[in-house]
Amino acid sequence: MDGYLIGKSFIMLAALGGAFGLFFVRIRHLYNIMMSVQGGAGACLAPVGERVREAVFDVLGQRNVRRKKMAGWAHTLIFFGFLAVQPHSLALMVQGICPAFEPGAVIPGLYSVYLFVSDALAPLVLVGLAVALYRRTVIKPAYLTMGRDANLIIMFTAVIIITFILINALQTVLPVEAGKFSYKGVFPVSGLVALALGLGGLDSATARIFWELVYFIHIFTILGFLIYIPGSKHLHLIAAVPNVFLKPLTREKAIEKSDLEDETADTFGLTNISQISRKQVLDLYACTECGRCQEQCPADFTGKPLSPKALVHDLKEDLFAQAEPLLAKDYDKVLPIFRDNSAVFGDVIWSCTTCRACEDICPVNIAHLDFIFELRKQRVLMESDFPPEMIETFTSLENQSNPWGFAADTRADWCRDMDVPLMADTPDADILWFVGCAGSFDDKGKKVSQAMARVLKKAGVNFAILGPEESCNGDMARRAGNEYLAQMLIQQNIDVFAQYNPKKILTGCPHCYNVIKNEYPAFGASYEVVSHLELIAQLFDQGRLTVGSGQAEKITFHDSCYYGRWNGIFQAPRDVLARICGSTNLKELARSGDKGFCCGAGGARMFMEETIGTRINSERAAEVVASGAGTVATACPFCATMLIDGLMAAGADTKVADIVQLVDKATDKPVVL
Amino acid sequence: MPKIGVLIETENQAIKQINHGLLTAARGQGNEVVAFVLEAVSDKAAHQAAQYGAATLVQVSADSGDVLSSPDLCARALARAAQEYGVDGLAGLATAQGRDIFARLAADLDLPLASDALEVDFAGQTAIKSHFSGKAMATVTLSGRLMLATLRPNAVAPVQDAVQITAAEYTATGIGQARVRRTSIQKSSQEQMDLTEAPVIITGGRPIGSPENYTILKDCARVLNAAVGASRAAVDAGFAPHAMQVGQTGKTVSPNLYIACGVSGAVQHFAGMKTAKIIVGINTDKDAPIFEKCDYGIVGDMFEVIPILTQVLKETQNR
Repeated sequence: MDGYLIGKSFIMLAALGGAFGLFFVRIRHLYNIMMSVQGGAGACLAPVGERVREAVFDVLGQRNVRRKKMAGWAHTLIFFGFLAVQPHSLALMVQGICPAFEPGAVIPGLYSVYLFVSDALAPLVLVGLAVALYRRTVIKPAYLTMGRDANLIIMFTAVIIITFILINALQTVLPVEAGKFSYKGVFPVSGLVALALGLGGLDSATARIFWELVYFIHIFTILGFLIYIPGSKHLHLIAAVPNVFLKPLTREKAIEKSDLEDETADTFGLTNISQISRKQVLDLYACTECGRCQEQCPADFTGKPLSPKALVHDLKEDLFAQAEPLLAKDYDKVLPIFRDNSAVFGDVIWSCTTCRACEDICPVNIAHLDFIFELRKQRVLMESDFPPEMIETFTSLENQSNPWGFAADTRADWCRDMDVPLMADTPDADILWFVGCAGSFDDKGKKVSQAMARVLKKAGVNFAILGPEESCNGDMARRAGNEYLAQMLIQQNIDVFAQYNPKKILTGCPHCYNVIKNEYPAFGASYEVVSHLELIAQLFDQGRLTVGSGQAEKITFHDSCYYGRWNGIFQAPRDVLARICGSTNLKELARSGDKGFCCGAGGARMFMEETIGTRINSERAAEVVASGAGTVATACPFCATMLIDGLMAAGADTKVADIVQLVDKATDKPVVL
Repeated sequence: MPKIGVLIETENQAIKQINHGLLTAARGQGNEVVAFVLEAVSDKAAHQAAQYGAATLVQVSADSGDVLSSPDLCARALARAAQEYGVDGLAGLATAQGRDIFARLAADLDLPLASDALEVDFAGQTAIKSHFSGKAMATVTLSGRLMLATLRPNAVAPVQDAVQITAAEYTATGIGQARVRRTSIQKSSQEQMDLTEAPVIITGGRPIGSPENYTILKDCARVLNAAVGASRAAVDAGFAPHAMQVGQTGKTVSPNLYIACGVSGAVQHFAGMKTAKIIVGINTDKDAPIFEKCDYGIVGDMFEVIPILTQVLKETQNR
């Protein structure tokens, strides 16, 4: 026996040294790749306290993972069970080299409790894995990547857990050596397994042989898994936690401002994978291809070639393919992302509506859109390669500051007979209302603006508009990759804002809201911005608006991505609608709130043709019809257009109205205070 | 009397209709017009040119190759022909062909070119050009011995002024080989004239209901010599190909007359035809936005209105 133990020590020493060594080399390789990219850190550690708290909720609390119920609970079981067995497995490894090592002998009480818990949790991993197998073999959701990688990982985990239980079960029937830790009674599940398998009937020599056999299977499977991890999607085990820790702490975010004045810049946007940031590398490492992003993605849902999951996967593959020149810091040799036969091509990046459902749902906080925005910038600024329909829109934005090319001086024509004041005449107005292009030029949008003006007057709000001084906010140009044009428009507006230094800016369109609130500060213009939804809710709360004639019909609400997922304005529209039609008449759509389905117009898709797959607005319109509501309330002029078109194509007579139009109809004449 | 040369665009030995406005502009206040063509044209075509005031019709060629399929050879041959006929100005259309040839011509002759002009005055050597999408009009004066200009299609309304026409041929020699050669032409599946060039357009919206129903618009278009367009909704519904789409994401058109049938006139559509000179809206919905934008509106079903219109137009023409 002593000879065996000495041999085992050597084998284990070699195996552990080899496996951990190889693991270290592979991780170091990945780390070196991460440190070789040129895009800077891309994240910061501060504020550490809040980040730790968030990471605890997200990782230990498995908060985001469980937003998908069944798979989330399965993951939680696997996560905790797998984590629980590791200390004992590690102890067993050390014991293999040094048989005298026995944590149970040092801290018997604590170790007994730990063993009890880990033994109880281990079988739950198998429950989780059973759910995983059920999904992969029976449900087979389209968003899951089926293949050897996932199956191997399930197999590795299952073997590790089963052998763990068997080791424990055999341990219970082995005789306790004098002065050593007793495993009797510490294994609630394995004890039962030993009973069920009748292991008690084995003589101690046979039990020992079995124990040793299972031990080697257990340890070598773990070591095999360890080596396998860095090269598989299960790199997630290592990268997810730091990625969650470094996640943006606010929902609101901005497209990075490109320094177009930088005369030393060779390129703008993302040309090569070497130009991403270290945090973005971590994003790529952290993805385990759970497919939740793809499940939510309107482009994938309607048959476009974009899947956020595939994009992240393909960029990761490209990162590895370019590893050699990257590690050598020979950046000129790194091939461009857009090249012949690249998995990332035009239709992939232009299919994105920037609805942000992918980022919102991602359990490990990957920022998919940051890749897409920078890729679009590169296509437009460096290659002039973008959907040809956008030429007209870009030209119109440049010449007339609106996407349709209407004469810029007619911007205030919508309110010609309405006595709406201009900031130029009343520079001290409490609120600068940024009407937006759709609200100024689109016939449907104009009606919304007129309703808004009436509502503001009813509530006695002291407001003014910019009229011809207003330019397009820049959102569309920016999201279409035309950073140059976007910055021009942003600068025009900022210069005008600076003249008046408004106390508060009101928007009637989520795109105006988002870009003015979250992206103008990078250009030195920080103002308080309020959405029309929030303002109306406030006016009701303050009693400045009261409902006169309630509407009995059923109403549903379509969340706009930019008020919703981009800025978290979910409750205000619902509160307002509940006031108008009564909460019982408010019917939610099948996909709503942070899981709301895009109308198809975001990211400048409003001004591009949708020729691949089915139409996103038709899908959404079908959902609206299925809700049985007579009216669908919107909060964005582009959503309204898309839904009107979709409903018309479906032959449905559901009405589409902006919330403010419904408010205008339902509210009384001015309240005298 | 100043002599003005014009490059006439032909198609299958016929003169394209958009040349009429060009001839009218070149004639100006009594200029003598020399019309250059790049292929032999029919007698009917010559007569047509005469109707709009072309006194001479010259078929230009080169001994070293086919001028019709080579823009650089054509430019050089045309320069020689202009010299030969002693013209004081040379104008063409701001079309794909015109832009190509006149840019080369200007470079070869080292002369200024007024491209995409809305009006030309050869006597004063000035042209009016649109800037910033029509927000500003610029009058440009050109220096040089020979005024070069390309005229925006449909910018000048054609006016007839028949003269006697003399046909001639001119072959340029010693101008070298063609460096650019057109090897093939791939036409779109459309059989009709290009929407962006058409002086009259009839557009059918979603209520057209089927691809076959476009026949009623095509019948009317034949009488009016118009092109047929479609709204995005009709294209999306599969009633018409994308090549027919007028609007923000389709073709931007500026015809003299635009007849919108069953088109609501939503902003995305209007953006593509807002520069049309006269807009006629036909829609069953009297509240449709098109009625706020059109010069003439008919509240009615296009399936009733259009056949009547076609009938009346036919009768008027036959009279």
